Amino acid sequence: MLKTRIIPCLDVIKNKVVKGVNFKNIRVMGNAVEMAKYYSLSGADELCMLDINASYQNRKTFIKTVESIAKVINIPLTVGGGVSDLSDITDLLNAGADKVSINSAAVKNPKLIRQASLRHGSQCIVVAIDGKRHKNKMKVVIKGGREITKNELITWAKQVQSLGAGEILMTSMDTDGVQNGFDSNMLKKVTSNVGIPVIASGGVGSLEHFYLGYLTKSTGLLAASVFHSRKYKIKTVKKYLSSKGVPVRL
Amino acid sequence: MKKKVIGLIDGQSGNIGSINKAIKDIIKGKPYQLKIIKSHFNYTSFDKIILPGQGAYATLMSNLKKLKIFEPLKKYLENNSSYLGICVGMQILSDWGYEDKSTRGLGIISGDIKKFRNKKLIIPHMGWNTINLNKDDTIITNSFDKKDFYFVHSYIFQNIRKSDVLAFTLYGQKFPSIIKKGNIYGVQFHPEKSHNHGLNLIKNYILKS
Repeated sequence: MLKTRIIPCLDVIKNKVVKGVNFKNIRVMGNAVEMAKYYSLSGADELCMLDINASYQNRKTFIKTVESIAKVINIPLTVGGGVSDLSDITDLLNAGADKVSINSAAVKNPKLIRQASLRHGSQCIVVAIDGKRHKNKMKVVIKGGREITKNELITWAKQVQSLGAGEILMTSMDTDGVQNGFDSNMLKKVTSNVGIPVIASGGVGSLEHFYLGYLTKSTGLLAASVFHSRKYKIKTVKKYLSSKGVPVRL
Repeated sequence: MKKKVIGLIDGQSGNIGSINKAIKDIIKGKPYQLKIIKSHFNYTSFDKIILPGQGAYATLMSNLKKLKIFEPLKKYLENNSSYLGICVGMQILSDWGYEDKSTRGLGIISGDIKKFRNKKLIIPHMGWNTINLNKDDTIITNSFDKKDFYFVHSYIFQNIRKSDVLAFTLYGQKFPSIIKKGNIYGVQFHPEKSHNHGLNLIKNYILKS
């Protein structure tokens, strides 16, 4: 049986994992390579890392960090943040990423999804979608939620699938960072409208939240703070889910 | 003592970094050497060949032809020499692939590559799933039975002889996750991404056969 994936997410600046609410009060949580190694050894099913400050100067160090991480882990690695064109995708895959996540660039230029999946295969193209409620509608937002696009969330999710995305990384900006649980309602809408895997992201604060995330039919559950702060170990989450009857890799 | 030569084929079908590193770690200090195959090669000078693949069947087949790897690889396999095909590297052992368009494969293990039948399944089959051994094997020993490995694929090996299936996995249906004919092995999952069990499998393949 296919297992529900538990995916720690590293928000990275250069080679440090950071935590910051809306890019303010950024706090260093640790060294990215060390943390990646720790998660791989402690039972993470996959690892996600995002360049959250993809400036020209920081990018070179970030790519080096991706290379170093790819060398020390033997689970799949998804890398995103600051991906704007095909050459960025190629650079990250060459650095050792197994999958590359595209966000705003896909919204601005949807053709990029098709070009990328034709060149590298759908299996390594993840489209990250940030969703937010606006005037009673679920919309796609970019720039960390600061800019609401004209795209309706479900229409966009279906479109990225038809353009060849292999997976959707779905973050609700309405629940992200507040640790009150995943946005079940938004996630269910997405999973019931697409046929590709969906990773739930944004809002985990307790063990039960992971279970509620599983119930949305998301096949991957992503979390950052609860793992980085050592509130929960990966094993703790998996044992809990297993006790609730969720298939996990123990 | 003469070192055994392991060939790792770079068919420009996804990145070979992880598998390359895994092999290097395994053979460190042992009488083996690793050579990357990127073009025509002398198939008699290799003791083992590993071909990892991602993406489309047709793309890998056309890359192998373009890089002039196809002919020597086919001869190597027809001699029943030791081979490990990973994901699409396993699939191309079949007669035909039906991904995007019909493509003739290497024709080493009879069968076709077709999409999962169940239309309601989430595709690709992505994540960790269990392998169930049909029989014990010198490389795929009983210790691997019921262990989880990392899969990413939308197509599966079908119409295969039962005797060529070493292990199967369930995802909407039963499908072959490890196949074997003579000295030729194929795994549908990615052992290089499958943590300890995956590394042990590669280790067994290199050291035990």
